[in-house]
Amino acid sequence: MRFPKAMAVLLFLFCFLFWSPSMIAETHASDTANVEHAPESPNGSADHGSMQTSSHTGGHANLGEVLPLWSCVPFACMLLSIALLPLLLPNFWHHHFGKVSAFWAAVLGIPFLWVFKGGAVYEILHIILVDYVPFIILLWSLYTVSGGILLRGSLRGTPVLNTIILIIGALLASWMGTTGAAMLLIRPFLRANNYRKNRTFMVVFFIFLVANIGGSLTPLGDPPLFLGYLHGVTFFWTFKIMPHMLTVSVILLIIYFFMDTYHYRKESVSVPADEAKEPLKIEGTYNFLFLGGVVGSVLMSGMVDLGEINILGIHRAIQDWLRDGLLVLLGVASLIATPIKLREDNEFTWFPIIEVAYLFIGIFITMIPCLLILKAGTHGDLAFLINTVEKPYHYFWVTGALSSFLDNAPTYLTFFNTALGSFYSGLTEAQAVPLLMTENAIYLKAISAGAVFFGACSYIGNAPNFMVRSIAEETGTPMPSFFGYILKYSVIYLVPTFAIVSLIFF
Amino acid sequence: MIFKKVLFHTHFRELALNSLKTILELKNTGLESIVLTHIIPRDHVSFVPYGGYLKETETQLKAEARMRFEDWQELIAQQGIESHIRIEVGAPNAEILTIAEKENVDLIVIGRKKRTLMQKVYVGSHIMDILRRSHVPVLISKYMVQFEWENDQLTRTNDHIFERPMLATDWSQPSENARQRMSALKGLAKTILVVHVIDTKLTKGMNRDKRTEIEKESKKRLENYCRKIEQFGMNAEQHLSAGKTVQELIRLSRDHKASMIVMGKTGKDWFHEYWLGGVSHQIAELSELPVLVVP
Repeated sequence: MRFPKAMAVLLFLFCFLFWSPSMIAETHASDTANVEHAPESPNGSADHGSMQTSSHTGGHANLGEVLPLWSCVPFACMLLSIALLPLLLPNFWHHHFGKVSAFWAAVLGIPFLWVFKGGAVYEILHIILVDYVPFIILLWSLYTVSGGILLRGSLRGTPVLNTIILIIGALLASWMGTTGAAMLLIRPFLRANNYRKNRTFMVVFFIFLVANIGGSLTPLGDPPLFLGYLHGVTFFWTFKIMPHMLTVSVILLIIYFFMDTYHYRKESVSVPADEAKEPLKIEGTYNFLFLGGVVGSVLMSGMVDLGEINILGIHRAIQDWLRDGLLVLLGVASLIATPIKLREDNEFTWFPIIEVAYLFIGIFITMIPCLLILKAGTHGDLAFLINTVEKPYHYFWVTGALSSFLDNAPTYLTFFNTALGSFYSGLTEAQAVPLLMTENAIYLKAISAGAVFFGACSYIGNAPNFMVRSIAEETGTPMPSFFGYILKYSVIYLVPTFAIVSLIFF
Repeated sequence: MIFKKVLFHTHFRELALNSLKTILELKNTGLESIVLTHIIPRDHVSFVPYGGYLKETETQLKAEARMRFEDWQELIAQQGIESHIRIEVGAPNAEILTIAEKENVDLIVIGRKKRTLMQKVYVGSHIMDILRRSHVPVLISKYMVQFEWENDQLTRTNDHIFERPMLATDWSQPSENARQRMSALKGLAKTILVVHVIDTKLTKGMNRDKRTEIEKESKKRLENYCRKIEQFGMNAEQHLSAGKTVQELIRLSRDHKASMIVMGKTGKDWFHEYWLGGVSHQIAELSELPVLVVP
């Protein structure tokens, strides 16, 4: 069957399932119940991310209790598309990933809107305005600003220097994002080691430390943590993961140093005598000011309270809109201030951020039922998951295992909601999150560490992984296959390290 | 001031070879070498979402481009011109400018964007970026174009593009540079049209005496330009007009059957260059003729 036909059939089937008489009957029953028992928000307004979100909009108050488990199928398919299509149909995927994302969004969105009408409109607008828009704006601004910083110079890749680059990258990652730090350092790192024979393991450890684990200390570091921040986790709370991050980083850096030293001695290579030497310098340093502005804007949105504003029926804090506006301004200022030539020398391109924007609109829309069901706690169809995932180490390993193969941002949000559903079912998100951060902090640490750390386990765990891989392959560094990466590196180095973290902390 | 070494960039769109053939005419004026350039946009092979790099696709695209170029090289060799091939992956405009600098070329030739019925412009943003930033003359080749004239849809084939070039001057240093470059066309150009448009924005609110004075001064300068061209042993004819510069230049090029338009780069500050575009950039976008922009 040709692809468009298959897609059309799937879309039809899903519409049919959603519109089935039993589904409508359940929905009406739930409507009636909700009219009678709809819980009031404590402040009388629809605070963002409320666990009884739709009661103020005339929608369905407890959609999570009504929605069937199979309504999560488009979400699973969306994530499976991301996991499998780059492997199975790379050319097709490269040229049509936007259509695939739109398709799965439509498979969920059309029947969802058809059946739940106002409630569905509210949920879709809510996730777009409260989660997707700020998420993309932050990624865009970090990507734009860090893309204006260029590290020039002829570095020589010795074990000591390489280890120092990895440490610097890991430290920067929490402040300029894993994508920003990886893009800043990967090309100089590859240039520094272009005379070395075995470079593959270097790039893999770069992915481990700079593109993932280093980003675990602030919401700027890794997308999952920013989603947590959007849902009420305070900016500096993530510093609580520092012991976990340091444990993993130190273990991996020691392993890396010994591996690099072994290969360096074995290779016995030397720098070509005729190679031109270029002094080390950083250009576009004013972008660090813009980066400071990004940090300040994000911090500001968590510290001030300017009230709320209602846009398209979605209540959102004014300081959140202000933050998003400032982030856009900082990105634009960086574009204006940075010479085009510098960005070209950095080989800056918009394509990766456009990809993320296209794919994540599909992810965010398709994940709506999953999040709602999880928020419904034991009343939802995912009660078995909530009942199974009990201990902190469960959260660490399950969040982590799924983050390895699915993007870690939606995985984080899924288990963040699982924890809220487990411990604070019935409370609003605004009430529940502070309690989760204090009373049950170990669970949030497990989810956060699991999502960020395990993102390093495969190329598809976190967006910068594939960008680093792509740049390495383009410049002639052979990279392991999808499974080669997992079997030769993740299983050998990461999994035992995470087991140590699990034993010590969870 | 002759074009000894030319960078010819192509996306292998239709009629690209015909565009190349028009350039080969420069052999008569001293063309010695052509750098055949094809840039595979990085996005076509790189950053596969959650994948990696399409190495096989890159190899295949490079092999295809090389085969096409090798076929063209035979034609170029028959004309007694040297050539070599540059196929790179990267940002097209940046790579073209880098190669032009490394190869020390005298002229960059780039093809027009394919024009659809909805489009009113002949060049894309990449070409405009090259025009803005190049330190060497850039020729926008437009071998076959469709355009609208007096409500008719016409198709024009631009071969023998150097036969009747129209030098549009605003008396600036880039215009003077463009005039000097015309000497490179000696032996090819039968007549060089030298034109100037007195922009209505300039004369708005002026009295008749002042306008007459500007007209006289413009004629004098045109004569001076023509004289300098004739000193090279080339024919020149002058035309003065008034109105909106861009529209008038396009009208003059049609009325006097110009084969190409030659201009100095007219961008002013960065704001004008990037958001409004100078006259040279607008002509490059809107004219159905090939346009040579001299920095």
